Amino acid sequence: MAPQNPSLAPAVNTVDPALIAQPAVQKLVDVCRAMSIWPMTFGLACCAIEMMAVGMARFDIARYGAEVFRPSPRQSDLMIVAGTVNKKMAPAVVRLYEQMPAPRYVMALGNCAISGGPFNIENQYNVIQGVDTLIPVDVYVPGCPPRPEALLEGLFAIQQKMTGRRWWQVPQGGQS
Amino acid sequence: MVFTWLQAAILLFFLGGILFAAGPLVGSLLLAPKAHGGAMGESYECGVPTHGNSWIKFGINYYFYALIFLAFEVDILYLFPVAAAYASPQGLATTFKLLVFLAVLAAAVVYFMRKGVFTWPRKIQVSPRP
Repeated sequence: MAPQNPSLAPAVNTVDPALIAQPAVQKLVDVCRAMSIWPMTFGLACCAIEMMAVGMARFDIARYGAEVFRPSPRQSDLMIVAGTVNKKMAPAVVRLYEQMPAPRYVMALGNCAISGGPFNIENQYNVIQGVDTLIPVDVYVPGCPPRPEALLEGLFAIQQKMTGRRWWQVPQGGQS
Repeated sequence: MVFTWLQAAILLFFLGGILFAAGPLVGSLLLAPKAHGGAMGESYECGVPTHGNSWIKFGINYYFYALIFLAFEVDILYLFPVAAAYASPQGLATTFKLLVFLAVLAAAVVYFMRKGVFTWPRKIQVSPRP
């Protein structure tokens, strides 16, 4: 298969392990990390509106410790790719990802970020067909746009990925 | 050696302050994995990629504007308190001091006039003294 984005280099993702890498210590620190995720204030399209809704009082991502939206990649550890990544914007996305400190996590929010979504057509010349062709994605949240609850579920999935367990109860009627 | 509880408390708070400031830095140094490469070393987080290095010759036009600003603005700034104080008589010695102050700042203005700054050219050329 030919490279999908010939003019774009995927993100450099070299991460050295921590100096104190004992599992017991890192497990404890991972719980601390998972309970205070700092997402990046970064939206590309309409999914960002849902991301704003999640930060507001009704859905209130602060209940799960992730309300500190940082305006700088150097201070954030979760990148929510909220929206359509087109070729003009992709270098900026890659650059922001490369500037985040480790451990860094990426949530692809919405169909556009996952696969190109409605723009996943033949001879597409402008929209990146899935942001995971450029940066490593940890959690995919489908929807067009996803509901704020879906974003919260995505956050829970990232917390589960960090710590190895689910921290919040499964909503009624939901699947575990 | 006299070592009271007050001194102990000051020392303790001093230590606490140092730990409060240095603790997170040392903690992240020891506990966090390190990402590097790519744009991590870039100065800026957005915008066009930087090119060239910063050790180049800059035009110093704005330096002159800053100095002119200093010469005139500081002049006015420090004369306000003088004007306020001159409501009551201050004597001849004070007047002399004020004149010295004004003379120093006036020397700067004369210097710029000699350098041709007040002709407002497009580019100020500072030629070395012949």
